[in-house]
Amino acid sequence: MKRFCGIDIGSSAVKVVLMDETGELVASSITPSGNQFYQSAADALTRLLEANGIPREEVSRTVSTGYGRKLFKQADESISEITANALGAKSLGTNGGIPVKTIINIGGQDSKVILLDDDGGVKDFGMNDKCAAGTGRFLEMTALNMGVTLAELGRWHGDSGKPPVTINSTCTVFAASEIVSLLADGHEKGEIIAGVHCAIARRVAHLAERTGVADRVLFDGGGALNRGLKSALEDELMREVVVPEIPQITTAMGAALYAREGF
Amino acid sequence: MEHERIERQRKALKGRLAEEIRETLEGTEPGGEGSPKGMGYFYDVFRRWDEPAGLADGKPVIATSCMQVPLELILACDAVPLRLCNGSHALEQAGSAFLPVKACANVKATLGMISVFQERLQDRLALVVVPTTCDQKRKAIEAVAEGAFTVYPLAVPSSKDTEEAEVYWRTSVKKLALTLEKVTGKRITRKRLAAAVDHVRQASAQFRKLSRMQQHAPPLLTGKDMFLVMNAFLCDDVQRWTAAVARLNEELDDRKQRGRFAGEKAPRILLTGSPPLAPGLKVPLMLEAAGGVIVADEVCSCSRLLHDTVVSGEPRLYDLIPAIADRYLKPCTCPIFDSGEDRRRKLIESVHRLDVDGLVYQSYSGCLPYQMEQRQVAHALREADIPVLFVETDYSPEDRGQLTTRFEAFVESIRSRKRRR
Repeated sequence: MKRFCGIDIGSSAVKVVLMDETGELVASSITPSGNQFYQSAADALTRLLEANGIPREEVSRTVSTGYGRKLFKQADESISEITANALGAKSLGTNGGIPVKTIINIGGQDSKVILLDDDGGVKDFGMNDKCAAGTGRFLEMTALNMGVTLAELGRWHGDSGKPPVTINSTCTVFAASEIVSLLADGHEKGEIIAGVHCAIARRVAHLAERTGVADRVLFDGGGALNRGLKSALEDELMREVVVPEIPQITTAMGAALYAREGF
Repeated sequence: MEHERIERQRKALKGRLAEEIRETLEGTEPGGEGSPKGMGYFYDVFRRWDEPAGLADGKPVIATSCMQVPLELILACDAVPLRLCNGSHALEQAGSAFLPVKACANVKATLGMISVFQERLQDRLALVVVPTTCDQKRKAIEAVAEGAFTVYPLAVPSSKDTEEAEVYWRTSVKKLALTLEKVTGKRITRKRLAAAVDHVRQASAQFRKLSRMQQHAPPLLTGKDMFLVMNAFLCDDVQRWTAAVARLNEELDDRKQRGRFAGEKAPRILLTGSPPLAPGLKVPLMLEAAGGVIVADEVCSCSRLLHDTVVSGEPRLYDLIPAIADRYLKPCTCPIFDSGEDRRRKLIESVHRLDVDGLVYQSYSGCLPYQMEQRQVAHALREADIPVLFVETDYSPEDRGQLTTRFEAFVESIRSRKRRR
């Protein structure tokens, strides 16, 4: 049986997806990238194959994507995460799924807005500039300052019942000191965390202003696991956003689909 | 002590400049059969980029901070023009000591160049001509040059379509001519000026021919080679440069007959916005490494520099100077002018005429005029259904990863768009 592999080597996590000839998802995994991208990616692939009892020879074609795509020499080809994300999102729209027109992706060190055309191709896209504000890094830093885990952030959103505080700093480093002063002023955790979510959502909405937004909006990437961020984004964009079942793997799915198409 | 410190700084900087030059050449100078032999001259000039040949002649040097300074006048005084604007990250950092953090990278690097080469240029530099184009350059030069060099502000109007602006600019150019005569001790005679105009006109003719090679479908010359050629302009004697471009054109003509192209099937890109400058050339290099080929540009360091020529009938002195002035003002599409309408029109016209697949608009962080024009340019291009990618960047290498992703995604999206049509 032929399998197709998409591997998305991001700044925080390596996502591996295996697909069969019909484009059905066979298996997927999400593991930390660590500091040796190539090794982490190679290990992740080996483990996923072993865990599912799939012999390596069955993988007909592998396509890498993400920040570390060039380092993964085992891949037959590499494509940018923007193209891959669009392909993955398009596949969600088939068989009565969600027909996606806009993708908002918040990853470890990037945030992106991708506008799709009627055929599901990339019409336009916007990405954050080199600074990490509005990305997963910002969330990690916030969690650290607040003494909560990354996964708990969403739960704290709106916990205090008070409106979110305004965080003005657009720089991750300055925002950290702004958060410290807010804590010193006696603001509650929930207010501040909600404020951070709103600040990120505002930045992403600015990006979206340039490209334009069309319904439906898909929200994916690791950031989409945070339900507080989802609700802040909905408020900022003034429309509903849809989060896929496993939001981190859309891009790796797109790479696997590309591997299958090109074969 | 002070002398020792400067000497040490200069030495460290020289090393870093050499490294920047080497890196750019590594990306442009392919081994084996790849690039035309005629590029050899430009690679050599580029290798000595920090020691321009013109400076060795002992002639007075006229430094310019912007391409808006009429070059013909400097050449007519038998002086050497020196371009201060540059794309060196090391010089950008050297210049940032004098400026606010958010200032434009180009302006910082221009200042870096003055401050670092102050000692070397001290006796030779007759004048620093600063056109009052962008506010940052206009204000910045004073910070370093004052006291060390004579700075001459060349008044540029902020509008160019009115009669008043034309008169204002022509007067300004006339005054510059008088000043240049004074500082160089050479009279600008009819004969000398006509010869200078002719030399620049010949350079322009060769440049236009080379552009057609780049615009050819498929292109005969890559965009990065074109930027290298244009960045070598004024690093050597103008006539020597012109002769080298003429040789390159002949060779490319021959390659055309034999069907040897550069970037076949690659998406055709037009580059606009802040100017790619030597020795960095970050964006053109990365864009072409991502699979696109730059077939045309709309930037001041390349096509705007030599595309237009002086138009005059009788070469009389009193006709020539206004004619020279006109060459610099009317066709200039710098965003400092109050209206960007002609720039937008020119971009859309070029895209259609040259069968361009997409446009890349770069703006240096801190260059507000280019950033402000982005919105209108985006609107105009989207109306015309032309894919466009905006990037904000500077001279530092830290955003290379993000830029690569963007360029690759842009090239991929153009390819898939073409496939689907």
